[in-house]
Amino acid sequence: MQNKSLWKFGTREVVYSAIGAALYAVLGIATNFLQLPSAGNVSFRPAVAIPMFFGIAFGPVVGFIAGFLGNIIADLVSGYGFWVWWDLGNGLMGLVAGLMAFSFVGFKTQGTLLKAELFVILGVVVGMGVASLSEMWVSGADINTVIFGNFIPAAVANLVNGLILVPILMIAYDAVVSRSGK
Amino acid sequence: MLVTWAYRVRKSLMGSFDPRARWIFSFAFLISATQFWDARFLVVLFVLAFLWYFSARVPFKETRRAWTFVWFLLLIMIVVNTILTGGGAGGVVPEGGHVVWPNGIPIPLTAWHFHFGLTYERLWFALCQILRIGGISAVFVIIPFSMDPRSYGVTFRGLGFPDKFAYSMELAFRYVPTIARDFGVTVDAQRARGYEVEGSGGGIFKQILRTAPLIVPVTMNSILTGEDVANAMDLRCFGRGPRTWLYKLEYHWQDYLLIAFSILLLLASLAIVYGLKLGDFWVPEFLIRMIS
Repeated sequence: MQNKSLWKFGTREVVYSAIGAALYAVLGIATNFLQLPSAGNVSFRPAVAIPMFFGIAFGPVVGFIAGFLGNIIADLVSGYGFWVWWDLGNGLMGLVAGLMAFSFVGFKTQGTLLKAELFVILGVVVGMGVASLSEMWVSGADINTVIFGNFIPAAVANLVNGLILVPILMIAYDAVVSRSGK
Repeated sequence: MLVTWAYRVRKSLMGSFDPRARWIFSFAFLISATQFWDARFLVVLFVLAFLWYFSARVPFKETRRAWTFVWFLLLIMIVVNTILTGGGAGGVVPEGGHVVWPNGIPIPLTAWHFHFGLTYERLWFALCQILRIGGISAVFVIIPFSMDPRSYGVTFRGLGFPDKFAYSMELAFRYVPTIARDFGVTVDAQRARGYEVEGSGGGIFKQILRTAPLIVPVTMNSILTGEDVANAMDLRCFGRGPRTWLYKLEYHWQDYLLIAFSILLLLASLAIVYGLKLGDFWVPEFLIRMIS
């Protein structure tokens, strides 16, 4: 695993980017009705764990496309339209979390899980930070609205979901890897 | 087995356009619509969006489910974020405004009043949200019902995306119905085992943990399927050279017209907002006078 290039985009990465995006879209759509009260149209999505997990498992490019494209599809199908900065923010969550890919051997060792949690936090802060700050330009929102209306609700919701679900997905994937030998 | 989007071949005005021209129009419309919070401009865009929508000649019964979902989301967005809390109106609707119940809402059988800060401006903003999001939804909701899923990859390639990224996008769009079906099957299977999707109690952490029996099996199953798909693609030498596409797209005169119209729409919107400084949130004079 360690010999692979972090930025490789071969056949497996093409397929897993697509699967990650479709999974994020479907699971995101299924939970899009969970709006965060008083937040600027931010929904509570347990599915945010998907791009972060795909980043960790298959690399930052896969994580980025899963988040970016998955958010586009989920928003298009849900009727939210196309919010490129939020799509980019979701992509960045997967990309930053994916920076730890291939730097570990097993998915369920304590050290790896702790490292994953750290990268999840970094990913969410960077991704939601970029997306929220974009609202100052897109919606003309002031910094207080951006921080309290967008960044904090989105980051907290994504952190809680990511910190709980990413390790669960990693442990489940470890079993899949051990069984299939891939 | 793969399942597909709810697309049916039909003769329509929208169907006569090249998919690339349609995407260009859709994004030009989207960028234009997101420039405005002024209801006067939003009404024009709303009408344009529905003219475009109806040109697809897709019967309502086919899109009913999608629309139910859109209106449900819109309702929640408006009721929770605009009317109840005002969070969704932040940065657009100016502070203050004309309160609907200045003396509060009397609570029956008590001398108390419930002070609810809803303003007429926020109500007007809710109308603008309906126009803006309804219009954008009309343009984008119709895509999966009116565009052949087999054309997604070649369309994105034709729009300038690299081969691999275009193919990834095509695969993602094609996977959505399959994964949606798998998700439905998983929900049913877990329910049969006594799992409660809408189970209450236990706080936020329990609620998230409750989604794991749905998310984990669907994800792992998709990854295993992906391994087979990747192997099959490798066997067919995917990515060894420039890709050829089974479907060929060609622009016709009506596509050039649509692209020209899209560019015009976009330029006009940008000129109105950045040149004429119009298009910000606006409340009609008569409404203010009526309230006063």
